[in-house]
Amino acid sequence: MDEFLSFVTIDVWTMIMTWGNLLILFLLMKKFLFGPVKKIMDERQKEIENNLTDAENAKTDAEGLKAEYEEKLKSAKIEADSILTAASRNALLKEEAILKEANEKAADILDKAEKQIAMEKKAALEGIKGEMSEIATSIAAKIIEKDINEKDHEELIEKFIDEIGDAS
Amino acid sequence: MNGPRIIFKIPLFGGIPVTETVVNCWIVMAVIIGVSIWLGSNLKIKPTTKRQLVAEKLVSMLYNLVEGVMGKKFIWFAPYIGALFSMSIFGSLSSLFGLRPYTADLSTTLSWAVLTSVMVWVFSIRESGFFGWLKGFAEPVPFILPINIIGEIANPISMSFRHFGNIAAGMVITNLVYGGLANLSKFVLGFIPNTFLNSIPIFQLGIPALLSIYFDLFGSFLQAYIICMLTMVNISNTSAD
Repeated sequence: MDEFLSFVTIDVWTMIMTWGNLLILFLLMKKFLFGPVKKIMDERQKEIENNLTDAENAKTDAEGLKAEYEEKLKSAKIEADSILTAASRNALLKEEAILKEANEKAADILDKAEKQIAMEKKAALEGIKGEMSEIATSIAAKIIEKDINEKDHEELIEKFIDEIGDAS
Repeated sequence: MNGPRIIFKIPLFGGIPVTETVVNCWIVMAVIIGVSIWLGSNLKIKPTTKRQLVAEKLVSMLYNLVEGVMGKKFIWFAPYIGALFSMSIFGSLSSLFGLRPYTADLSTTLSWAVLTSVMVWVFSIRESGFFGWLKGFAEPVPFILPINIIGEIANPISMSFRHFGNIAAGMVITNLVYGGLANLSKFVLGFIPNTFLNSIPIFQLGIPALLSIYFDLFGSFLQAYIICMLTMVNISNTSAD
């Protein structure tokens, strides 16, 4: 024998149990479905945001590095230019110095050589002069067979030789 | 047409009747919780299963709906709305499996509506204080006070009767149509002198399915949506902004 409630009825016990059922369903669905799914979605959102931030940071870093390297490259170029300029200037200076030294040395050597030549010429001339006077004296002695005052003769002869030298 | 059958009585306080409503509710709850556990388990940040995509779609739809209707302030309300919605829609749809839909019991829908009203009152009091809430009934002009009080009482009644009435009427009409079609079959096939052949209710095949699409599928979804919408709107109205 089935008992029925009437079709339109407000049964307090049913209402209480419905509240309890709804509360249980709410808690369990929250624990098993909404909570975990929402959590994983939030985590994914966070991860995506983190990745985006990381990418942004990496981009900024890369741009900074690029600017830095460009700056470095520019300064390196300038430095290289200045080094080259300095080197060429140095080379020029050195070249000049070396040339000057060489010229000086050459002039010195030439000078010395000329002096030596002059000295040797002089010495040779002196030697020839002496010999010539001797020869002349002996020739004169032989010619006149008479030993005259040697000093007078020598003067005479030198004068003669000078005349010859001037004429030569 | 009978109300819910009393399945058994708990021998306390002179016998607590446990009706079909409550038992069917337990069955539906078990199914919902089973599906929830299945959908909500083994989740990964990089989803590899369609199951997870479905779960995320459902949950994000729910949160978007609640955020759209109630605003960010009440976003924590989403799980309750989700539970209420699943309870309502699967309760109504349980008629497809031959269970008596527990939403066709006024006690069920009234308890949900009363819960909504209680929450509205609690949030109103929390928002503007107890006397502020009482004063709210006499606004904008004092003589409107009785109308406001009636409106406050009418709210859960209209909410519960709307839901109950739709599902119960669907159930009644479906039963009537089944009965009518059985009689029609008997009348049309009555000339066949064979008690087996003329007892086949041929008109019950197919025709009630059209009604079922409206009353069971469409009505169930619509009523679940309406009761959730009303709950959300009423509760979010308690907040000033």
